[in-house]
Amino acid sequence: MTRQPQGAGALQVSADREAGNAPASGWSFFLAVLRTRPQFALGYGIVVLIVLLAIFAPLIAPFDPRQANPAAFLQKPGWPYLMGTDATGLDVFSRVIYAPRIDLTIALAGTVVSALAGSILGAIAGYYETKRGLGRMVAGFIMRSSDVVQAFPVFVFAIAVVAVLGQSLQSIVLAVAFVNAPIYLRLMRSQVLSVRRLRYVEAAYIAGTSDLGILARHVIPNAMAPVLAQLSVNIGWSILLTAGLSFIGAGVEAPTPEWGSMIAMGYQNIITGHWWPSIFPGLALALTIFGFSLVGSSVEVLADPVRRGRLAGEIRSKRVRKTAATARA
Amino acid sequence: MQILTYIGRRLIFVGPQLVGILLVTFLLLKLIPGDPAVMMLGPFATDDGLARLRTELGLDRSIVEQFGIYLWRVLHWDLGTSWQTTMPVTSDLAQRFPATLELVTLSLLLALAIGMPLGVVGARNRNGIVRKFADIYGLAAGALPDFWFGLVLIFILYTILGVVPAPLGRLDFTIIPPPDVTGSLLIDSVISGNWPALRNAAGHLLLPVLTLGLINAAPILKMTLSTMERMLEADFSRYAEMCGLPPKVVARKALRNSLPSVITIVSVLYGFLIGGAVLVEIVFSWGGAGQYAVQGVLNADLNPVLGFVLYSAILSLVIYLIVDLIYFAIDPRTR
Repeated sequence: MTRQPQGAGALQVSADREAGNAPASGWSFFLAVLRTRPQFALGYGIVVLIVLLAIFAPLIAPFDPRQANPAAFLQKPGWPYLMGTDATGLDVFSRVIYAPRIDLTIALAGTVVSALAGSILGAIAGYYETKRGLGRMVAGFIMRSSDVVQAFPVFVFAIAVVAVLGQSLQSIVLAVAFVNAPIYLRLMRSQVLSVRRLRYVEAAYIAGTSDLGILARHVIPNAMAPVLAQLSVNIGWSILLTAGLSFIGAGVEAPTPEWGSMIAMGYQNIITGHWWPSIFPGLALALTIFGFSLVGSSVEVLADPVRRGRLAGEIRSKRVRKTAATARA
Repeated sequence: MQILTYIGRRLIFVGPQLVGILLVTFLLLKLIPGDPAVMMLGPFATDDGLARLRTELGLDRSIVEQFGIYLWRVLHWDLGTSWQTTMPVTSDLAQRFPATLELVTLSLLLALAIGMPLGVVGARNRNGIVRKFADIYGLAAGALPDFWFGLVLIFILYTILGVVPAPLGRLDFTIIPPPDVTGSLLIDSVISGNWPALRNAAGHLLLPVLTLGLINAAPILKMTLSTMERMLEADFSRYAEMCGLPPKVVARKALRNSLPSVITIVSVLYGFLIGGAVLVEIVFSWGGAGQYAVQGVLNADLNPVLGFVLYSAILSLVIYLIVDLIYFAIDPRTR
């Protein structure tokens, strides 16, 4: 771990602490968290790097990711092809940098759609489950449908969704969303079941607020935390699913730069010893998922008041030790 | 006796659940564009021939009628014919399901053998080197795409080192397969004493099992680690410690109390991998059930997909039932 020079900031923070109002939020807390948990910093670094690469791909990539040079097929990694070329003469490096544009877009869109749809349905299911009448039937129907979706083998179901809707970006997003929605649905439902018994919900009910108003204004905002924590964990898995679909041939189609389809294209060459068309995109894919799962675990800690408090305590005691050490010196 | 009534009560819900799953699959697959009759007869079929085939397949009836016919046939254990293999789905699956089961079972055994010990040791010694390794392993293996990791293993162990047979299927073409008894090549070749087949089948199994085993060890490891940690901090462990029991005994009691959650994660992984192993199956040309279903979806071949979904739904129901029975066995409080 790097030792930070003692500056005015640290003194200010320790003064804050002595005053009894150590900040457990805001930028300075976040930076302190990254310092005590370097693996979180690594995760954020990877994610930022991948996003930057995706945004600035046209400036960085030395070659057109869709334009093959048939004369230079299966070139070894080196100059000018940093990661070599594949069997058709496409530059692997350029395609690896362009790929997150597709992969991240699909994964993010799919996760957001599933989180929105899943948590709204979950909130309805949780809220109406103990009421009478039509609402209860709707709630039961939602839960049984989610049972059925979850009983499906994930990949077969996702491929079937893509096959029904036709092979396009939107249908892959929908497939990812469909497969993930039950997770959010269950999370939200269990949260709502406990939130809806709280006093302020009852108070709102007695004040005459409509069901919809209670749900939207009081229940959902107070049940969102676990859903948000799940979000970043889920993005990595969605990227994996997207790549897997493309690997089978049910996702993004061939000339578009995408990690899964690149791995599939290089599959035949690996047996003959040309490893680079498959290995590099896979490494990029694994690195991205790794980054997102680190970010996910940091969000899990930060979104959980208990673990967040423990971490804040750890940071504080570290600071105390540090200031004590400088005072002695 | 109590257990028998419990199983009975569980089985009551199995029927409706299966019909629901079949209905959704059926409707979903019916929505897939693509006419099976056109696909079967090819581009040069006459309109007359197409019409006759549609009547024969029942495609000219209403969806409700079609589903009714399908359910009736399922009750008689007739899952229809795959037009791709021109074989009954039941006999296709009888061949492919054991291949997937053998692969998944062995992989999960390997994953358990890696994940549990690492998790237990890591939880007992929080600052040790094993704990560091376990944390890194859990994060890194969780991030690896299994189909890519399989390719890496093929590249290292087949292309460079040449220590495993070519990653094509479950047996070399030159090896005479053992007679089919259980469907598992390992067990069948032991039964028939066919040692070359045993060695060859084991060689073919090595890479896919390593792929799935090493990757799926990560969730088992994480689960063991976190539960074990919680159990070691639980009151009963502190009490045992205070009474002066040796750490080994305390750890053994904590492990026994963490077993239910380890078994849960294994059962979840098992259910997931029946269909989720399909990418690895494709990489190794395994000819498993998942691969069969994916081919079916991609070619508007309805019956194999329905058959696969039915089989895997039944299988996961059986697995969850077995898991519940194991809970009964290991947790005296549930009895």
